[in-house]
Amino acid sequence: MQESLVIFVVLATLAASYFWIYPKFAGNDVKKMAWLDAGLGFIPMGISALLFWVSNPKFNLIFFETNWFVFTLVVLVILELPLFFWYIKARGLGGEYWAMMGFGPKGSPDAGWASASVKQVEKQLSDTQWDGLRTRGAKTFLVAASNIVILGGTVFLFFVGDNGWSALSLIYILLIFTFWFLLRQSVRLVADAPQEALDERLIRIRDRSYVIAYRYLSLLALLIAISLMVFSIVTDFQPESDGFTYSIPLTWPQVQAIFWLIFAYAGMLPSMAVIGQDLSKKGRK
Amino acid sequence: MGRKPKTDEETVLNRLEAVRTESGISRQELADLVGVHYQTIGYIERGEYSPSLVLALRIAEELKTPVEELFWLEEE
Repeated sequence: MQESLVIFVVLATLAASYFWIYPKFAGNDVKKMAWLDAGLGFIPMGISALLFWVSNPKFNLIFFETNWFVFTLVVLVILELPLFFWYIKARGLGGEYWAMMGFGPKGSPDAGWASASVKQVEKQLSDTQWDGLRTRGAKTFLVAASNIVILGGTVFLFFVGDNGWSALSLIYILLIFTFWFLLRQSVRLVADAPQEALDERLIRIRDRSYVIAYRYLSLLALLIAISLMVFSIVTDFQPESDGFTYSIPLTWPQVQAIFWLIFAYAGMLPSMAVIGQDLSKKGRK
Repeated sequence: MGRKPKTDEETVLNRLEAVRTESGISRQELADLVGVHYQTIGYIERGEYSPSLVLALRIAEELKTPVEELFWLEEE
């Protein structure tokens, strides 16, 4: 019963949003639409909070039991997505919307993916401020240091216990973002640029760097998958195992270790690959 | 007949620097005319990058020189 009430509130909010509020107040302005969307999302969440915060009943989400917050959020996302895609398709806003979410210009195949704008890249391509990071030695150091930081931080978080040392994870996160920034400056944002900001030589370097980055990232994914498989097989041989369900005892720092390992490599590998191409080319000369 | 491996491909030689200098055009000017970054012109001149056919034709047009006089394959 309470589930139907939440679904009704979400449907009513979405109907008002997509058939009246967005067409009237946002029209084809995707920025206004995004702001309105963020604001209107609070209506069903707020109503659910008012009704269920205190009593906190269990909500049946097909296979799971959950609370009012998760149920309302999931229903909102599931019911809104088709309406959202219908709205942006009907108004031809797809390119503009994805361009807003990323840095690629409207209509660009990189819209929504590029994390550097045409203006930023053009500025970087003629910039000399960071030339200290673009020497052979500096590039080698950056790639080596980034890997040491990522892998060292992962090992540290895996073995640190529930004590004051775990607070050092904040320094690790800060270092990840610092090296991500420095790597980007070193390669003049080429790996993260939309194609409109690059010429044919730079596009070739950027595209090649994604092939290389994908190979290393797939290796990382494979290692994690193999670890999971080995864990489950080893668990099967334990006397208390039922051979079907597994519980992985992870601490909060260990969860962070896995998260930041994937996050860091996903963000940094393309720039590292650009440097790798540059270094191997210079090495061949 | 398969595609040649990358390492076996011929090198594209050029006399871009000489022709550009004779024409009194700087790297930056030529880069602006053909729509590439000025470093790319440097890479082409040093033989470190082989331009696409479109870029080679554009450069030849801007320098008013037949493309085959600017770029040619290295003879074994």
